[in-house]
Amino acid sequence: MASLRQKMPNPATLRSYRALQRVVAVPRVRCYATDIEPERPKPLRQGNEAKLGRSFQGQVQGSIGQRIQREREERDRYEHWREVTDPSRNWTLTIFVLGMVGISYWLGTFWHREEEKASTYRLATAKEIRHNTKLENMQAAWADFLKIVGKDHVSTLETDIDHHAASDWSSHKPKPEERPFCVVYPGSTEEVSEIMKICHKRKIPVVGYSGGTSLEGHFTHTRKGISIDFGRMNKVLALHKEDLDVVVQPAVRWELLNEDLGKDGLFFPPDPGPGAMIGGMIGTGCSGTNAYRYGTMREWVLSITAVLADGTVIKTRQRPRKSSAGYDLTKLLIGSEGTLGLVTEATLKLAVKPEHTSVAVASFPSIHHAATCVSKVVGKGIPVAAVEILDDNQMKCINEAGATSRHWTEAPTIFFKFAGTPNGVKEQVSQVQALAKEVGSKSFDFAKSHEEQDELWSARKEALWSTLAVKKEGDRVWTGDVAVPVSHLPDLIEETKEDMKKSGLFGTIVGHVGDGNFHSILLYNDAQRAKAEAVVHRMVKRAVELEGTVTGEHGVGLVKRDYLPHELGETTIDAMRLIKNAFDPQCLLNCDKVVRMQKPASGEVHEW
Amino acid sequence: MRRFPQSIGLLTISRGQRAGPSRARRCYSTSPSTNANPGRTPNGFGVLGLVAATAAVTAVVTASIMSKRTEPLPKPVVENGGPKQRVGPRYADEKTTLKALEEIKSSIKGISVSLDPDDLESHGYAEWSGSNIPERPFAVVMPTTTEEVSTIAKICTKYKVPMIPFGAGSSVEGHFSAPFTGLSIDLSKMNNVVSLNADDMDVVVQPGVNWVNLNDQIKESGLFLPLDPSPTAHIGGMVATNCSGTNAMRYGTMKDWVVNVTVVLADGSVIKTRRRPRKTSAGYNLTGLFVGSEGTLGIITEVTLKLAVIPSSYGVATTTFPSVKDAAAAASKLIRRGIPLAALELMDDVQMQVINKTGGAGGRMWAEKATLFIKFSGSTESAVKDNMEQAQEISKAYGGADFEVAKSQEEMDSLWAARKQALWAMLALREEGTEIWSTDVAVPLSRMAEIIDYSKENSSKLGLFSSVLGHVGDGNFHQAVMYDPRDAKQTASVKKCVDDMVDMALEMDGTVSGEHGIGIGKKHCLEKELGSDTIAIMRSLKQTLDPHCLLNPGKIFEN
Repeated sequence: MASLRQKMPNPATLRSYRALQRVVAVPRVRCYATDIEPERPKPLRQGNEAKLGRSFQGQVQGSIGQRIQREREERDRYEHWREVTDPSRNWTLTIFVLGMVGISYWLGTFWHREEEKASTYRLATAKEIRHNTKLENMQAAWADFLKIVGKDHVSTLETDIDHHAASDWSSHKPKPEERPFCVVYPGSTEEVSEIMKICHKRKIPVVGYSGGTSLEGHFTHTRKGISIDFGRMNKVLALHKEDLDVVVQPAVRWELLNEDLGKDGLFFPPDPGPGAMIGGMIGTGCSGTNAYRYGTMREWVLSITAVLADGTVIKTRQRPRKSSAGYDLTKLLIGSEGTLGLVTEATLKLAVKPEHTSVAVASFPSIHHAATCVSKVVGKGIPVAAVEILDDNQMKCINEAGATSRHWTEAPTIFFKFAGTPNGVKEQVSQVQALAKEVGSKSFDFAKSHEEQDELWSARKEALWSTLAVKKEGDRVWTGDVAVPVSHLPDLIEETKEDMKKSGLFGTIVGHVGDGNFHSILLYNDAQRAKAEAVVHRMVKRAVELEGTVTGEHGVGLVKRDYLPHELGETTIDAMRLIKNAFDPQCLLNCDKVVRMQKPASGEVHEW
Repeated sequence: MRRFPQSIGLLTISRGQRAGPSRARRCYSTSPSTNANPGRTPNGFGVLGLVAATAAVTAVVTASIMSKRTEPLPKPVVENGGPKQRVGPRYADEKTTLKALEEIKSSIKGISVSLDPDDLESHGYAEWSGSNIPERPFAVVMPTTTEEVSTIAKICTKYKVPMIPFGAGSSVEGHFSAPFTGLSIDLSKMNNVVSLNADDMDVVVQPGVNWVNLNDQIKESGLFLPLDPSPTAHIGGMVATNCSGTNAMRYGTMKDWVVNVTVVLADGSVIKTRRRPRKTSAGYNLTGLFVGSEGTLGIITEVTLKLAVIPSSYGVATTTFPSVKDAAAAASKLIRRGIPLAALELMDDVQMQVINKTGGAGGRMWAEKATLFIKFSGSTESAVKDNMEQAQEISKAYGGADFEVAKSQEEMDSLWAARKQALWAMLALREEGTEIWSTDVAVPLSRMAEIIDYSKENSSKLGLFSSVLGHVGDGNFHQAVMYDPRDAKQTASVKKCVDDMVDMALEMDGTVSGEHGIGIGKKHCLEKELGSDTIAIMRSLKQTLDPHCLLNPGKIFEN
């Protein structure tokens, strides 16, 4: 208080100060944090009377003196006010609080709070994915890749990048910026591992690429990054004829492999679209016409060597034909669409080529008749090698395109393939013929020679191409793919046909009836895209309602990932997401495919 | 130092106290409460309180930031080094387990819980298992629905009680043993066939269904489940160990026959891996992951199985060979020719001897030579006949003799009887106190003859009784060695012999377990087979799905 008084010599101020104290009664002092500054009483103004009788000089001096006094007063007041409001007076407090914050922050690091431990990983709690695809980072990575694979095997050519960004047959239309920065062509597992180590360090997303025949946007570069093309890894490493297995690299084409194996009387049963390579076939868990008898890719891979997101190389098995040892990582990687690891080597099981084969073709008045025939054949346990159905539209296309040398009845048609000993095959054919007749077939043809066999089967083989042949300029093709329990198949096909007719789009149906899987091949132009989408959407929805699956053999990719929760339920997808996160916490490997790892923007997911 | 009381007041709180009440100082206190109560000693406690509050808030905020922060740091996918660095899982003690048990009892009405020592014994020990341990489960609970299992899992996770799923208990590698005690969850009350879809050729069953009963129940539909492990096995356990049996040659193993599984995860969430399509490419193959996971990733509460059509005609043949090697070579040739056999089994001379010693099988005595048992099946008589002729031709080329063919059902049963009784004959011959060490390796087909020969020779050096019995159709065989566990030297030499065989199998690109699984007995072998990186990724899978390591802990690999 004493210091304060010294600082405030002005009697007027003091007076008012005391007056204030008197008024408030309690010793009231202003609190600067909360109170408003009290109005100071102004110094009395000198009247003209005071000036009278003074010389002009005196008046001037008096006036000057007054002014100086006033200014001094003001300056003092100002000085005082500045001192009081000076933030520096709070420095100690600030430093103290900040210090405490620092210390408690540091102490907080010792307080171990258990992470939330659940067996599922929900999208709502998904963390943000951070990649680094800035130009500097990519260029630096490019230099690293050069060191690993050499200058000739890294490409930034526009044409290469276009080729790895999109395809004509895919039902997903990538955005223009969804392109890889460069394409790397590794030559060995070690090189892939080195590349992944760099991508892991630099947080660069990676998409694996082999045949590029996928249909649902599996290799779209949603996060830019780089494309790893396995094109150079196309060797058959070892063929163990006696063990019925073969060790191959991922870019081996299945047709070429079968040509090789044919010399030894062996073959590899899965038969997807031509051009597909082993790596991609494992990625999508593919199948084909042989799946009814031999099963899908999942049944024909013994072991996989894969490079994980951080460059670790794992081999899931050696070469035994059966094993119960540990988790079945082989099965987990098959169908993971390159999101869990990059397949760099695979050991495939082989089958012995059947001694004798034959083909029969039967046409029926309706899909339902055809399906009844199939279920009878299957129910009787006749070991047919393949059962395929083509609808009337498809048969019309084949006739129109002139893809085969003969003219076909334009009705729902079933193609049977038989395999076994000559006697066995003969018996099977006659059994099937009898069953077909029972159901009411319109025609039944079977091959008597090898040439006839090829000719009959060629119609099935040409199905997709003959549909493409009738398309108009500018038309695109959408290949749908669903599977349901076999007994629901005829209903689903009928309803889908009806729906296609109503929508006004031209479409055909080709089905692997033996295992309840069929494809709709829709033709549409850009104006009809929404319509085509709607038709496919309704087909998928119907399949799920009939206890089926949203994809029988083409995989999920980008197009079908939002259908998955409806098929399997949220918790199942959450478990899948957890597995993806365990394998690849930074989401580098083919991010965004199969399961979403990040909350979608509003409006991105279509209504179910 | 500043002259102004504000700062002095703050800096010298203690001095302020000594100096007694001072208006000026109080005036500049930032706490309005001191103004309202002029009588109180201004001592800066307000400031202290504020600071303390700030500190507390900061600490909480920091902790939450930190706990979030520790998570997303990029960590290697595969953590090497394995179990040594990790602190072992901590489980509930007896008292907590009891509390958990009480909660289970109160939240599930009418659940049967047993603490009976006999029950615990039967749920923690098996005579036929080669990997028994002294620990027993704390209690046995028998849920009847998926929801009940889910509730149990939730409570067990809350109290950190290990859960050990139990089916029929027919496993041989200690899959259901309880090294950390905990609850044995016996699913044998869930034994209903939920629905049979004959048209779709599949069946939905609960895990406690016995496969023999299932096949009996659905016989009329003309369908069957082609897997044939131990006749007591339940579906749940069959899925969990990825079992197979004599039919595996033609029909494949369990993983080829499961359409979907409904699984209760460690935290009680229920997932169904698929609907019922026979094939699908939709999403990760969780079905494949849970088949063969030995109850370490989840508890299976419902399974949809594919079914096969019962073959309309089949036949059985047996043929003897001068040596095991010849028999195995002939077997490999039979497979290589692509003859569609239903089963191909090998029994060595010792095994045949055992059969004769126990009074023969199928009402007859057998030649004590290495013998192949062949099963043919087909849709037509002529196909079977063709196949038989081809088989006879091939076996002759390898020195096969006495090619016996059975056509009628009775004859077939009598011929196959010898194969069926193999294990029981062996157990019958077992002397008091001895145990049987049964191995289960599989190798690529062409190495079959070699490894059987090797292991026979190796075990004959032991001077112990040992026999070979193999599913040669898929390169898998079992060697049974009878030994006295009380004799340390003998035990060690048997162990060495078995380890050698396992090493040999691995050298031949084989596996340490063809169909019995890893359980607790073969953990060390698995590491040898797959390498530490592959085990590490399995371990990280286990850790993500079961972070507290409560589901069947201590199995397949160290946690």
